[in-house]
Amino acid sequence: MNMVLIVARSELLRRIKTKSFILVTLLAPTLLIGVFALIAILTVSTFESDSRTIGVVDHTGVVLDRLLAQEEDADLVLIAADSSTVQAAVMAGRYDGYVTIPKGILDGEESLRYYAAEGGGYGVTSSLRFRVRRAVRNHLLDEAGVPNEVRDIYRTSVSISSVQLDDEGEETGSQELYGGLGALMAFLLYFALIFYGNTIFLGVMEEKRTRIVEVLLSSTRPFSLLMGKILGIGGMGLVQFSCWAVMIVGLTAAAGTVVGFFMDPTSLGLGARASATEMLDASGIVLPTLKLSVVVWFILFFVGGFLLYAGLFAAVGSMVDQPQDAQAVMLPVMLPLILPMLFISSLLESPNSTLAVVLSMIPVTAPVPMAIRLVVTNLPFWEVLLSFILLLGGIAGTMWVTSRIYRVGILMYGKKASLKDAVRWFRSG
Amino acid sequence: MAVLSVRGVTKRYGRLTAVDEVSFEAQPGRILGFLGPNGAGKTSTIRMIAHILLPDEGEVLYGGRPVGPRSQRQMGYLPEERGLYQKMKVWDQLCYLAALKGLSRARVKEQVTHWAERFGLEDRLQSKTRALSKGMQQKMQFVVTILGAPSLLILDEPFGGLDPINSELLRGIIEELKDEGCTILFASHRMEQVEQLCDDICLIARGRVLINGALRDIKKSYGRDTLHLGFDGDGAFLRPFERAGRIEVKSRSAEGMVLKLNDDKVPRTILETIMSQGVSFYRFELAEPTLNEIFIREVEGS
Repeated sequence: MNMVLIVARSELLRRIKTKSFILVTLLAPTLLIGVFALIAILTVSTFESDSRTIGVVDHTGVVLDRLLAQEEDADLVLIAADSSTVQAAVMAGRYDGYVTIPKGILDGEESLRYYAAEGGGYGVTSSLRFRVRRAVRNHLLDEAGVPNEVRDIYRTSVSISSVQLDDEGEETGSQELYGGLGALMAFLLYFALIFYGNTIFLGVMEEKRTRIVEVLLSSTRPFSLLMGKILGIGGMGLVQFSCWAVMIVGLTAAAGTVVGFFMDPTSLGLGARASATEMLDASGIVLPTLKLSVVVWFILFFVGGFLLYAGLFAAVGSMVDQPQDAQAVMLPVMLPLILPMLFISSLLESPNSTLAVVLSMIPVTAPVPMAIRLVVTNLPFWEVLLSFILLLGGIAGTMWVTSRIYRVGILMYGKKASLKDAVRWFRSG
Repeated sequence: MAVLSVRGVTKRYGRLTAVDEVSFEAQPGRILGFLGPNGAGKTSTIRMIAHILLPDEGEVLYGGRPVGPRSQRQMGYLPEERGLYQKMKVWDQLCYLAALKGLSRARVKEQVTHWAERFGLEDRLQSKTRALSKGMQQKMQFVVTILGAPSLLILDEPFGGLDPINSELLRGIIEELKDEGCTILFASHRMEQVEQLCDDICLIARGRVLINGALRDIKKSYGRDTLHLGFDGDGAFLRPFERAGRIEVKSRSAEGMVLKLNDDKVPRTILETIMSQGVSFYRFELAEPTLNEIFIREVEGS
């Protein structure tokens, strides 16, 4: 059997047979769903519990009545207060805060003043401002004797929903949903590259630290060992992702059933025997669909990014034999991986900006921005292809440099290598 | 079964020449003691023989062909710095390392079972490697080395960390392999072990070969210039000889002294002195220098 395959097979088997691998594979999706559920629950409960009682000190004599006459708002309860006692009331905790409405507010000359002992922030001040503005505006409109038709014009509201078009101009779904999906894929790629890269790093370092590498090298070439390790750990990732894919497909199928459990198909205007998919459609739950080409490109960039970073992590792994030295040598490899994550909102917002294009063309930063851009925008074929070809070039270059550093570094014991050492090894390798 | 031939091999690291035109041969059915002080270039030379490092100049031949993947499959290498995957099961690890030697699945199982039994590891095959004692791991490492019935063995300090019983077991197996015709390179700092086991010697220092040849011939060439003397008392009768530079005391122990003799007539004179002074003695033996002594003389004199 080919040496690379023997190494890869052993690396794969010894990793997927461990308890930690099985646990991570089973628990990661559960954990992810758990975190999302927790966030949802916390968000909802925060909104519910966050009702504030605000004292109002009115110096205009006209705004207060209108404010109190407004429809009730569970989040913001307004109570008339006296300017001499209100501060003590806030300190005593009877009010969460108080607001003063100066006379000049009617001329637009003075501003509201909100006092609070704690918290509140933008949400409170903006809804206060909104409610007082409405009261002031209604008072001024009444004074000027403006007819009802004009008031109706003021009440006109506009809402917006955005829809993503594909390159044939077909509507594919809501833009927000695709943005979320793009971000999700970017995070998935980012964490996978870090996780599997780190596994390779630790594997190389362990072989160097335990010195078994010398036994291995007396049977096989360093390059075969390196390739076998990368393929074996890549295979482990493949197994893991396949498990997750099966679980996700299972959960999606279950989602229909769950919707069916809570909803009566007849209430959605469907027959009693409507399928889960039909019910999802009718209830307005849209699962975003990706075109096959996008999925294929995503996988290609995923694999490409893995190979590129596998090489880099292996190179730095061969430079250290003590875990405490790992941080220092890992940093230069982590930086280009982290960099695009800093721009993630910008990449989602303007996927065709110069920044996005530049990051996509540099092999070490390309995978994350490409994952996002493939999902949220329609990239011209040549651009995707060019980015991918550059990535392939990057992989070839990395493997060449890595194999030279690796085969010297792996046999150097006793000290942490500097960048200078790595350059020397590269020259002699 | 073939000759290992190192020819004019040189290895440099930057400005440092670790191995400088080293040449020697190891014959099948014989054990070559490969000696040298720390930093002499032993490990580099061994790595070049194992095809882990490539020489800058010269060549290493095994069976008349340059070493490479083919010779690696015929070779068992026990490095001085032992290493095993700590978290792997013993059986999995032995099978993996045997497969890397190019053994077929069926042969892997047969070999692993055979050697595990010989070394008393058969009950531990499903344990994780790190659960084994240090001595057990040493034996396991040796099993790794001889899996696949190599015809060339490179053993760097094979007895390190073994108790006398396991050392004896290992020595028996090494001699067995030698009798089967293996070419064996034995590197060690334990000179008494080398003297016991080796047929030939190659001593290097500072990257160069100092002595190379059959152990018997080398020892003979030094002549019987060493006197082992066992006696009671403080040995004051030897002081005049020492002051005159006719003898050097090499070692002193409960069993007596080892003296280096600087002229031919001195043994006779010492014996006469012992007789005339009535010193009670129980050993008087003229011998060739020990390998330990040869090692020290050659390395210090180079």
